[in-house]
Amino acid sequence: MPRNLTSVWLLLASISLGSRLANVAAAPICANGQTRCRVLSLANLFDRVIQHSARMHGISNELHSEFQEQYVVPSRNHIGRVSRNCHTSTLLTPNGKENAQRIAREELTEVILKLLMAWRDPLWHFHRIIAHQHDLANFSSDKALEMSAMVHELRKGVEKVAEKMQTLGMISNSVSTLSSLEDLLPSDSGEWRLMKDHELLYCFRRDSDKIQNYLKILKCRIVPEHGC
Amino acid sequence: MLTTEVCDVTFSVVPAGDGMKSDTCAATIVTMLLSAARCNSRSPPGRPVLLGCRSPDKETFTCWWEPGIDGGLPTTHRLYYQRERPEGTQECPDYRTAGSNACFFDRNYTSIWVDYYLTVVASNALGNSTSDELKVDVMDIVKPDAPEHVTLKAEDREESLSLHVSWDHPRNVDTKSGWVTLEYQLRARQQQQQQRRRGGGHTNNWKEYKAGRQTQFTLYGVHPGTVFVVQVRCRLDYSAWSSWTDASYVNIPNSIRKEKPFWMSILALSGFLFLAALCIVVMKRKSVIQSLLPPVPGPKIRGVDFQLVKSGRAQDLASALIIQQDFAPAMAWNDYIDDDDYLIVSDHNTAGTQQRSLVISTSFSSKDNGAEQNFKDLKTTPTVNQEDCSCNLSIHSSYVDFEAHVELELDYSRVKDVTSDNIFLLESVDVPRPEKLREDYSKVVDSEMLLLQEKSNQLDCLKKLPPSNPQTDADLIDGGYVDAILTPPLG
Repeated sequence: MPRNLTSVWLLLASISLGSRLANVAAAPICANGQTRCRVLSLANLFDRVIQHSARMHGISNELHSEFQEQYVVPSRNHIGRVSRNCHTSTLLTPNGKENAQRIAREELTEVILKLLMAWRDPLWHFHRIIAHQHDLANFSSDKALEMSAMVHELRKGVEKVAEKMQTLGMISNSVSTLSSLEDLLPSDSGEWRLMKDHELLYCFRRDSDKIQNYLKILKCRIVPEHGC
Repeated sequence: MLTTEVCDVTFSVVPAGDGMKSDTCAATIVTMLLSAARCNSRSPPGRPVLLGCRSPDKETFTCWWEPGIDGGLPTTHRLYYQRERPEGTQECPDYRTAGSNACFFDRNYTSIWVDYYLTVVASNALGNSTSDELKVDVMDIVKPDAPEHVTLKAEDREESLSLHVSWDHPRNVDTKSGWVTLEYQLRARQQQQQQRRRGGGHTNNWKEYKAGRQTQFTLYGVHPGTVFVVQVRCRLDYSAWSSWTDASYVNIPNSIRKEKPFWMSILALSGFLFLAALCIVVMKRKSVIQSLLPPVPGPKIRGVDFQLVKSGRAQDLASALIIQQDFAPAMAWNDYIDDDDYLIVSDHNTAGTQQRSLVISTSFSSKDNGAEQNFKDLKTTPTVNQEDCSCNLSIHSSYVDFEAHVELELDYSRVKDVTSDNIFLLESVDVPRPEKLREDYSKVVDSEMLLLQEKSNQLDCLKKLPPSNPQTDADLIDGGYVDAILTPPLG
């Protein structure tokens, strides 16, 4: 009986040791500030996200000007007023620098995330349309695909930034997570399907500029010492 | 039918049959003109035209319009705008800041990412007219001012010449809050001479560089001795580019290196000094050689001209020997030499048969009689006629008749091989070997000269000896050699 107990104890000890070793192996790579692993600071995260958004806005600019050449949109000489009803018009967004600086950080972060989420489906749909149209040049299709992918990645990036900000206590935990935001958005009524290509591009160009500016303002409010 | 419209009144002149003559036509024209003159002063204004809007900083914007035809009455222009949100038509908040025929929207009235619908209404007492509507989104009309304070500086690095350009952001752009990001672009080219006259309007040969967000840039590989023209422009985010700054000129100096001329001058100076030293050395080479390589002291027998001896001729030698000079008393010389020593001067004929040698007693001065006796004794010894030196010396060997024998000349040509030093003094009857004697002879010639110098009087005396034994003398003389034996001092 003692021999069995001893063997059991040994087994338990080995199991615990093995689990401890496994834990060590499964431990996060960047634990305890090891030198090999570089933990991205909040400023770095912000910089990456801002660069990403700038690139995205650039592509939307290019696509919009390409489409404007092909589809002559009467801007000045049109009869009546064509009000561009972007599907994101219902979102309340700050319309200037002071407004963006005045609203709460959490609200600003939420606005950014909402905008990014609102464009995920329309851009994917747009890309598919472009890819199927044979009369358009291929590079438009590539750009549309890149734009669609960028919106997706940018949203993930901003979510990470929001998480980090919450972790560091810079913003309160009132920022909604992804799932709850999707619930908050108006149900996908497919308004964006009614938009024509150039209208869609115009609306996205405007919104991507908003996202870019909001992110920059947010960065300088959260981490002002890094190049503001 | 002639129809004109003046001041909204239509004149139509209908030629009514043949009755219409030129006078009627002229009258109508005059009436029209008068009416026109009156009408120009009063009419509703013409339609203004909205030219466009511009935002230099994405926070404010300005719009300009062009008035229509003036109606002759004081006309006022008003700008009205509408936005998506909030609803309602509003009037321009500021007509003055941006100048005439312009409207300035400051921060409170500017909304980005919002469509503005603008119209201008011109009105006077007679009426008003409205321009076309202009839709504007501030995002689309951003165009910053040009960068400021462009400074150029030519720099000299180790291997290359470079041009450093620096500038400032436009004054009215806020770069602190992160609201906008400025991106710069610069262009540069070498100034061509002919373009300067034309004002430099060429678009080609401009090289454009993207400077990103930095406010400085360095151009490498600029050529010295040229003039460079540089211009900078910027844009906000992805807005339109600003206008180029005024051209800045910089003159790239030719020799910007300060060290190089210094070293070149040092090198040139040292080269010049070296050449000067070389010239001096060449010119004074004799004295230089003399100081560096002290000359071999030649034979210096006072009273003997060494040059004549060197010439090798017998008569020269004689005259060299018989130079009338004062010379130091023999005492000084004799101190170094024992009184009883004799000197053998011998030469060896290369033909092999005869050998001549001369014995000179060094003690003649004090023992003149003895010396003569010695010489007399020497007379009787037989002559030597073999190669090896069994040197029979005769008393007559005390002098040498130089004049008569060619072989002597030959022998005396050996004088040229004279080296300094050693007076070979033989102290025994045994005649040394010919080689030695040969050497001695040559050596002895040095001292022989000394001796002979001393003995010049003696020689004279000897020469004047009566030919008591003419035959012997003649033999001796004819033989062309001097036989000498060394005899121990008598007494």
